[in-house]
Amino acid sequence: MYSSSIRFIFKNILPLKTPVQCFSSAPLLLSPEKLQRFRTTESQCLKHKDEHLGLFYTISEEDRKRIFIYGGIPKSFDVQTKTFNETCLMIRQPSLDIINCLRNLDYSKPVVRFVLYGKKGSGKSLSLAHILHYGYQSGFLIVHIPWLGNWMRRCKEYSNSETKEGYVDLNLDAAAWLLNFKTQNSHLLSNPEAKTSIDYVWSKREITPAGSDILNLVDHGINRIKYASDTIIALCEEIKKLSNKGIFRTLVAVDGYNAFFYPNTRVYTEKKEVVHPQNVTVTQGFMSLTNFDWKNGAAVVTVDEIAIAEEDQISHLPRYLLGKEGFEHLDPFVPVHVQNYTEKELTSCLDYYRERKWVNDYPGLDEEVKFVSDSNPYKLMKVCAPL
Amino acid sequence: MFGITKIQFFNSNLKVLSTIIQQNGMSQYPNYYIKPIYKKDSQEELIKSGEIKKLSHLPTRAALADQTSSFSNDPLANLLINYCMREGNKILARNLVEQCFENIKRLQLEKYHKTTNEEDKHQIDLDPKSILHKAIENCKPILQLTPIKRGGVRYQVPVPITDKKAQFISMKWLIAAGQEKESTVRFNLQLARELIDAANNTGRVIKKKQDLHRQCEANRAYAHYRWS
Amino acid sequence: MILRQIMRVVHPLRPVTLQKNILAGINGSDSYSTEIKDSVPQEEPTKKNISKAMKAYLERAKEHEDFMQKQREEFQIGKRHLANMMGEDPETFTQDDIDHAIEYLFPSGLYEKKARPLMKPPEEVFPQRKAAEFDESGRPYHFLFYTGKPNYYQVLHDISHHLIELNKFEDSMIRKKIQPDPNLALDLSGYQWIDKESLEEKLVETIGDKDYEYFINCFVRLTAVPYAYKIKDFIFEYTEPLLNQVQTYDAVKPHIDSDGKQFITVYECPRKAARGDVTIRFPGTGKITINNQGITYFEDVQSREQLLFPLIFTDMLNKVDIECNVSGGGPSGQAGALRWGIAWGLRSFVDQDIIEKMRIAGLLTKDYRTRERKKPGQWGARRKFTWKKR
Repeated sequence: MYSSSIRFIFKNILPLKTPVQCFSSAPLLLSPEKLQRFRTTESQCLKHKDEHLGLFYTISEEDRKRIFIYGGIPKSFDVQTKTFNETCLMIRQPSLDIINCLRNLDYSKPVVRFVLYGKKGSGKSLSLAHILHYGYQSGFLIVHIPWLGNWMRRCKEYSNSETKEGYVDLNLDAAAWLLNFKTQNSHLLSNPEAKTSIDYVWSKREITPAGSDILNLVDHGINRIKYASDTIIALCEEIKKLSNKGIFRTLVAVDGYNAFFYPNTRVYTEKKEVVHPQNVTVTQGFMSLTNFDWKNGAAVVTVDEIAIAEEDQISHLPRYLLGKEGFEHLDPFVPVHVQNYTEKELTSCLDYYRERKWVNDYPGLDEEVKFVSDSNPYKLMKVCAPL
Repeated sequence: MFGITKIQFFNSNLKVLSTIIQQNGMSQYPNYYIKPIYKKDSQEELIKSGEIKKLSHLPTRAALADQTSSFSNDPLANLLINYCMREGNKILARNLVEQCFENIKRLQLEKYHKTTNEEDKHQIDLDPKSILHKAIENCKPILQLTPIKRGGVRYQVPVPITDKKAQFISMKWLIAAGQEKESTVRFNLQLARELIDAANNTGRVIKKKQDLHRQCEANRAYAHYRWS
Repeated sequence: MILRQIMRVVHPLRPVTLQKNILAGINGSDSYSTEIKDSVPQEEPTKKNISKAMKAYLERAKEHEDFMQKQREEFQIGKRHLANMMGEDPETFTQDDIDHAIEYLFPSGLYEKKARPLMKPPEEVFPQRKAAEFDESGRPYHFLFYTGKPNYYQVLHDISHHLIELNKFEDSMIRKKIQPDPNLALDLSGYQWIDKESLEEKLVETIGDKDYEYFINCFVRLTAVPYAYKIKDFIFEYTEPLLNQVQTYDAVKPHIDSDGKQFITVYECPRKAARGDVTIRFPGTGKITINNQGITYFEDVQSREQLLFPLIFTDMLNKVDIECNVSGGGPSGQAGALRWGIAWGLRSFVDQDIIEKMRIAGLLTKDYRTRERKKPGQWGARRKFTWKKR
């Protein structure tokens, strides 16, 4: 259903490019251990194909430390990976579709925005993690906000912005994010062509001149926390310019994007008034990054009910969660529905749990768990926990 | 009314019924309604022994809300949930116990992955319910002290204990041990640790049981006060 | 002879001839007319020896007997009239027919069935009384009269008599080295002992709780003997058959809907304050809909497991489709109501022996328990205020 909508959009906006030549990776790679039904040894996201659907692939430790150090893998899943001694993600239809699109996208055209939506616990964040891994392995420049709710509803510190009137800074979070950005993209930021285009005047004595490394800009933000939020805005603009020039290919990944448009944040002014997310300095940077006025990039975004307050969690659909503003900002976008597990995926997941000795097996386990969890991935994890 | 007295049942040669029938003054069911046998394997046993025919004449109570015939449903786990429950908050109690089981699994799996020896790996029990059963079994006291007044003095007299009471005391101690913790540690984690310790015959609850046994041994001299 | 105040009762087991004796006694000189030929020689009682109390007693017995006789005659006549009214044959007019006729002619809206109009033989309407227990000379007829409860002790006496005999028989069998036949062994599984009220009615005497307990114990002792089957008629006199619970659950035949699928709807599924209705369609795929929502209608796992219970018990999990509507109460009550509804509906698609297994598993009993009300002078239903000694 939605794949036809993708094709429709592509027809009207971008012509379909010929598929990238992939190495023909037969799933039955000759590996020392016997290949289990639910696993694949294919750890290159580039090579994930339809035959890998429902199978688990492993993210290597170093990749994991690189990409997900600041977040990106939900806490409950994180605990599970510690117990299982490995980080294994399931290859599912939504993420595979987006990866295929990213492979075949015409990057000379304006940026395409993908929106992952689905009910609570259906696997949006982990799909995003899969796409992020793909982006990292394919050499994209990653701009990744792990969970926007942490900024809007659990910010570490807020303060009135000095540069902009009426705006609020989230400096500690901003600085932490810049560090994360640096770690994720260190191999790309050392590119000699990654230079700033204009001067950035922070104060009388602090200037980041044009033509300096992006890395300097980032370091400035990390070291001078006071200017962290403004650095982010500057950085976002630079990234857009560099992508337009073709120096980087950018992947913007935001989890919980709808938090940018939900008015009831827990960010307050010094007078204890609620701040609308549009009045947070950092928001401007990311809003411009998810705009379509630049090319050579892609934006994958999730909209999640959990990012907003409980009393307003009525619907999981993008139009409701984004609101009028958000919807108009993101329009046109490619909606990607993340659904509950199919039969195959459910069996695969349970087999994985059995193999990891997480679930004590008994006859009839599969059907019972399927019924009780309604094939919802998160609920399945919760139901299997005490078994 | 249809009154059947306790004697009639206890004296009729039905071994099954003598374990099922109970006089319960508080139940809203008439006292001749028997408790349901909701597990498939229990029913299989009855069919084999032929006692199921005798049940065809007795009305049954409805199964409770926490009873299912699934293998994942454990009567002892249900009891534990009930004992942890406060003010009827079954959802919270069940969550606590389920998280406790999850923690048991994580702790055991950690140990499992650490040990390299195959034999030792087999020794490690990864099933939280079996650990619960072992823990409860290991913590059951054999005697208890009751105060008996003789000559104006209250002596603590060691007295034998029924199995049900022992089980109840064991579970109560385990839960109490789970609650004695630093405020940073969660109840379900502490309880998980206690259960694993008790299943290995170590830990606070076992010590408590052994203390009780020591006390009973010390008060042996008063044992005859039970009858005097 | 000092008469004790004894309940004057017609003894059902006594032969009628004794009543004639009483009547004979009252009529004085007619007692030893040539018609009655009693072999027992008696002293010629003189009218003057009968005390007033004795006379009154005997008169009362006679009165009662006359009264009962009259009632019997009236009943018979009334029965024949009724049969005529209803256009039936008076000869073959049974008690059931009488009951139907009375219900038809005198329709009553009263809830208490015992308060409705009835027409029954006088033995059932009027309480039984013992016949005169002693003759005019004051000599009791029953050898256990002076125990105060002759019929009760008669039964106990019979039990002990049987016990002795059976033991003797068993001894003789053992000497001959014959084992008792297991096929003939007494099976009381479908029976329960007669309850106290019925026993009192049967014996026409009041007995205390302890006496009743002792009575049951004696019978149990008797049935424990290997050769008890020899006196099974005597034992079965004092038992009542238990209702076979299985027969109370007759499954309804399923309807056929427009798709050709069988379906069945169970209305009024109760549990606490929740009321629901469940439709089960067979054959199905395991879909479940509650108030137009999936199983996510219930957020907590326990309620979902409750709905799962009847399905996995009968192995019908992916074979039926279920649509339910439920309202009222809380999640646990609603889940319980639906569980009962699903189990009740599944009976139509499942064998009889599985239905029996479901019943033993407690799936088919309606859970009528409700929240106990709070009482005045207490905190809640049971919890009392702090007890203060003064």
